[in-house]
Amino acid sequence: MKRKKKISAFQIINGLIFIILAFIILIPMWKVIVDSFDLHTAYGMKLWPESFGLDGYANVFSNPTLLRPLIISFITTIAGTLIALTLSTLGAYVLIQWDMPGRNFFANMLLFTMIFNGGMIPTYLVLRGLHLTNTLWVVILFPALNVYNLVLMRNFFEGIPQSLFESATLDGCSPMQTFIRIVLPMSKAALASIGLMFAVTYWNDYTHYKLYITDSKWYNFQMKLRGMVMGSDLPPTSGSNATENTVKNAAIIIVIIPFMILYPFLQKYFVKGVNIGAVKE
Amino acid sequence: MKEKKKNNTMAKIYKYRGFYLMFLPVFVFAIIFFYAPMLGIRYAFTDYNGIKEPTFTGIQNFLRMFSMHNFWSAFWNTIQISIIKLLLTTAFAVIVSILLNEIANLLFKKVVQTIIYLPHFMSWVVTASIFSLILSPSSSGLVNTFLVNIGVLDANSTIYFLGTSKWWRPAYYIINIWKETGWQTVIFMATLAGINTDLYEAAAIDGAGRWAKMRYITFPQLRNTILTVIILNLAKVMNLFESAFVLQNNAVLDVANVLETYIYYQSFNSGSIPNYGYTTAVGLFKSLVGCVLVLVCNHWSKKVREGRGIV
Repeated sequence: MKRKKKISAFQIINGLIFIILAFIILIPMWKVIVDSFDLHTAYGMKLWPESFGLDGYANVFSNPTLLRPLIISFITTIAGTLIALTLSTLGAYVLIQWDMPGRNFFANMLLFTMIFNGGMIPTYLVLRGLHLTNTLWVVILFPALNVYNLVLMRNFFEGIPQSLFESATLDGCSPMQTFIRIVLPMSKAALASIGLMFAVTYWNDYTHYKLYITDSKWYNFQMKLRGMVMGSDLPPTSGSNATENTVKNAAIIIVIIPFMILYPFLQKYFVKGVNIGAVKE
Repeated sequence: MKEKKKNNTMAKIYKYRGFYLMFLPVFVFAIIFFYAPMLGIRYAFTDYNGIKEPTFTGIQNFLRMFSMHNFWSAFWNTIQISIIKLLLTTAFAVIVSILLNEIANLLFKKVVQTIIYLPHFMSWVVTASIFSLILSPSSSGLVNTFLVNIGVLDANSTIYFLGTSKWWRPAYYIINIWKETGWQTVIFMATLAGINTDLYEAAAIDGAGRWAKMRYITFPQLRNTILTVIILNLAKVMNLFESAFVLQNNAVLDVANVLETYIYYQSFNSGSIPNYGYTTAVGLFKSLVGCVLVLVCNHWSKKVREGRGIV
């Protein structure tokens, strides 16, 4: 009897700890949401906007220099994720052909890049030499080959029963047909997990733009947001009821909102992705 | 005999011809984006500004690098910031995981997990934007306003957390803990879910209480996972760039500049003609230290993880 009481006390304290933790995570985000709707610059923490208005958002969307980066973010995320998934699945499929002459060479060639690389400047010089800098190609193609994700995909493919490949070959399927008709349909979970990881990487990309793109015509929304928050690139607030602070906060919300809406439904795929890597490696 | 073996290989290569074709795109990407840049390492031994032909200068760049105060400061900053950040987030993630594992109400647990994973998916730019607004010394900064309201600070002496050398690193660590602790629990929670419940039942029969079970069953089971996480991340400590870059500014470079940001500023923001030879040399040094770390961690990993390396 005594022990039961002790356990429930622990449960209550533990529950309280997590409620506090959840608040610590959410307060910074809530502050941004409130400020994005508040036409006055809010002082301290408000539970609700003091003078509610959508002018911050209207300002962002009416501004042509803000819409373009948003569209670029969408285009590069979609194109990049598709190309990255194509490379990861093709590479992973070849790496499970243990009998293929040269298979180990290809595997080692990819793994070596995880240990050693040319570094920031030689990479920049190669991309500049190929005239890829200041084009969207560099931010779409350069991150597309991710050896870590390719290895995750390979681990997943290894779980497909060998007999399926054999019977497909007996039925006269070419490697490409086997890949499209057997491997890909059986890997929906892995495609979702790894595809989402790529999509988040592309959507959040800042480093590659900062390094390889100097022409603001090709900035994505992260670059634009950075410029705005640093104060060097604020849209004019004259003629609008929104203050600079409101517009900054509205821009932050706009860049995270697509993900926030999808996130509760996608969470299990992200967790699964980590566990593909954790179970075997 | 030899002829026959050769024929066999040729036959096999022919049999796998479709696969070679499928590997071709991956091969081309690897050559262009990873191997071609490796050829550029030769610039480390030259004087090169990107326009004129490079002139060979031997180890001049390395001698200059080792004599630079800023280089050494960036080097030690990289190591200190990465390792302290790694240890702090891992420690927090372990504690949170063990406590989270004790929550009986599944719905509550699920909601908590959803919330604490969230910051991981926000970009560093968004994170830096949020925290630069919150930590701002102006009256709209949440933390300063709070400190003034509870009387810790005077309204005229607010702290510019991200712009003061004394406060930058603590702020950086706290932001990292806020962003990454939750997501790091995923891997620990997976290990905890795999613990055989018989162990707990047996311990309960032996009269073990909650703390004893955590101390003698849960924690030892997590030990291997903790070591794995630390080893895997230790191999990456030299790569620190984006998180430091978006949070730093000129006022705090003495405590915040890391090797990658040092290379960036020297190459693109130095205000004079860039010396790509010198920055390539710094990058090469960084890559070599990183490479040694990976190999050491790999060796260590094989010992801890029953023969499994990290690469």
